[in-house]
Amino acid sequence: MSAILLVAIPLLVAFLSILVKKYAPYLLIIVGLFNLVMLFLLQDGGVIIGGFDQPLGINLLLNLYSRIALILINALIVVIACLNIKDYGKYGSILLLAMAGLNGLVLTVDLFNFFVFLEISGIAAYLITSSNKKPTNTFHYLALGAVGSSLFLFGVIILYAMYGTLNYGAMIEAIAANNNYAEVVLPFTLMFIGLGVEAKLLPFNSWVKGALGHSNTMSGPMIASVYAAALSFVLGRMIDNLFLFQGTLLTIVTVLLTVGILLGDFMAFSSTKTREILLFSSVAQASIVALLFVNGVVAWAVWLIIANALSKTVMFLVINKATKEVGCDETKSLQGLFTKNILVGLAFTLATLSVMGLPLLVGFMIKLNFLTALAGAGQIWLIVAILIASLVEGIYFVRLLVKLWYKGENEISVKYNLSFKVVFVVIALALLAFGSYTAPMNQIDNSVDAVTEVVNNG
Amino acid sequence: MIQYAAIILFVFGLYGLFTNRNVIKMIVSLNVMEVGLNIFIISIGFTYDGIAPILSSTTANGLLYVDPLPQALVLTAIVIGVGTTALGLAIAKSIHKTYNTFDLDEMGDKE
Amino acid sequence: MKNLFGLLLSLVLGAFIILALNNTAAFPAFGEVDLADRVSEQYFTDGNVAEVGSANIVTAIVVGYRGFDTLGEVTVLFISALGVAIIFGEKKQERLDLKFKPNFMLRVGSRVLFGMILITSIYIIFHGHLTPGGGFPGGAIIASAVLLLYLTDDRFRSNVKGFKILEGIAGSLFVVIGLLGLVLVTSFLQNFLPAGTVGDLLSAGIIPIIYVLIGLKVGSEISGIVDNFLTEEESA
Repeated sequence: MSAILLVAIPLLVAFLSILVKKYAPYLLIIVGLFNLVMLFLLQDGGVIIGGFDQPLGINLLLNLYSRIALILINALIVVIACLNIKDYGKYGSILLLAMAGLNGLVLTVDLFNFFVFLEISGIAAYLITSSNKKPTNTFHYLALGAVGSSLFLFGVIILYAMYGTLNYGAMIEAIAANNNYAEVVLPFTLMFIGLGVEAKLLPFNSWVKGALGHSNTMSGPMIASVYAAALSFVLGRMIDNLFLFQGTLLTIVTVLLTVGILLGDFMAFSSTKTREILLFSSVAQASIVALLFVNGVVAWAVWLIIANALSKTVMFLVINKATKEVGCDETKSLQGLFTKNILVGLAFTLATLSVMGLPLLVGFMIKLNFLTALAGAGQIWLIVAILIASLVEGIYFVRLLVKLWYKGENEISVKYNLSFKVVFVVIALALLAFGSYTAPMNQIDNSVDAVTEVVNNG
Repeated sequence: MIQYAAIILFVFGLYGLFTNRNVIKMIVSLNVMEVGLNIFIISIGFTYDGIAPILSSTTANGLLYVDPLPQALVLTAIVIGVGTTALGLAIAKSIHKTYNTFDLDEMGDKE
Repeated sequence: MKNLFGLLLSLVLGAFIILALNNTAAFPAFGEVDLADRVSEQYFTDGNVAEVGSANIVTAIVVGYRGFDTLGEVTVLFISALGVAIIFGEKKQERLDLKFKPNFMLRVGSRVLFGMILITSIYIIFHGHLTPGGGFPGGAIIASAVLLLYLTDDRFRSNVKGFKILEGIAGSLFVVIGLLGLVLVTSFLQNFLPAGTVGDLLSAGIIPIIYVLIGLKVGSEISGIVDNFLTEEESA
């Protein structure tokens, strides 16, 4: 038993699935469940590949941090696959490869291997957005994604030229030994921009509007929750272990992320399309997560990623399903959506309130705690910025909710299947439950730093 | 300096990507950028008087080889570039089928 | 205006990269790399060379030390080929017409060339661990042979379904070999065959086997992509 199976089995099944195309979605669900079981059985620790330990070969690392990320990713992929088995069955193989790519991305501790998995999951993401039938938007995403990963690779290569290794742990040690932050500013900037493109950070994310603004019940939740969560996790690990921003670069990154939060929320405020409101809100949330990692508030950043992934899954599923049946996603034309779907409406409301950070829900606990942590670090301006953003966020979400609950001129009826409803209710209950019970997550605070330790100990 | 040439090529590609609105030209720019990056990767491993990293029966130890790792990395990078290009061209073909043009500006508000 | 902005942005980025690299002591000047500072030094030690058994060190890295990268690389190509097929639709395809009528000599000549190109590719694939070459170039050469037939014969249509099966099986075997390493020795993609004498055709353990699989997979994938581009939906 080894963590490599989490990547190898989806790959193997993906290769075989093109021979039995019809069964690909079912295979995907089986593999996803297998991965989830494996995640509960596997021991923490490093995995050697090819029989060569680092720095010669490639290593994987499973620790609490990556385990949480993997459980979230695999569980969400299984849920999304179950819901879309009928409509998007032919994307089964793609989702299998996306699963392998994202698992590898989270597990690997080799920088070039990371690039390879970034490309696998990236190409899978382009194909997932191609299900929107908007080729121009997919092309836009592909072009930006290719530039982003090229910049990332550029940074990795410069680091290799300087320190002669590609391994995370060895790289971190070499940089610490050299103790000259000025010389790593260039590669880190390039790598941060590269990851920022994929992690939806402003201003590198002009693809998001096209890719999510026309999304469907598969591509919406896949890109907005699964990919966003996975990339936030890896970005967080990079920031807290490798980048460790200092000096001018720290200032620039902080300003950039703060502007990203404000801009994202203001753009959501000024939009009248439901899906655009959701996607700009998730852009703002991605920046908040990155900002928390930059300030070392790891545990609450992880919580925020999980809560966002769960809420955004519900929100995008509700809206995209409704849009598909109504044929338009202007908030006006969706008016009165919940008058007949009270259960769905309640779940959507809970998810929205959780993102806004209202008491009793998980979002409130998170917001309270990370604001306290930021106050402890003396980042008053960041708190002010986040509070302003939250206010704006509150206004547009309440406005949206009011519209969706109150009957408009046109009667619309959208039918949600039982499976959709079950998912909504379970996630909404989870958001409620975690709001009062936060014990299990408090222990992850330090595990992000464990990467260096475990790698060094073999 | 060959490394400057590689960086300039990379930046050329980026410039082309920013300014072109024709899908095919954008893919070409993307390729120019990738070629620049690949040359840069290879240049990282070069040493003067170094020989290709292939052992032959006549050579003894103590020879100066160039760094083989960037060569292995560039192989991977090239293949990944091929994959992205193929996908980009496929999308370009489907764009042309939908809008009858390769120019993003000429598509107007059809989307 | 937009062009000017793009120009400025590119110039600034280029200047930033060049200046930063020039002023960094840790970044070695062109051609003055010291391998002793890098991991690569260890790839040349006698012990490691004997353990992997490949005379071509680049191949040793690509398939041996960093074989996992190569699996990912093959996956990237696989997913692109899959994506191209999905984007073009799954309806029945018929091939595009040539602008001219190929004559007898062209068709026969291209068949002869096809065989020669194929033999070259097989040679390149099998000697990947001894000389420059290997599965990726070899596979690309196979695909170029298929492309030649497409361009010289207007009735030619390769067996796409066969390519799909070959592609799937070759990819699965790659992973299976990796898993065998995990079961028989200790880690994924580890060599479980004798390394043999460095420089022999039959040496380097699983490296030639994997390279043959990669060659087949790359060849069939790129041929599949070529087929997808040279066909269109039947206008029924």
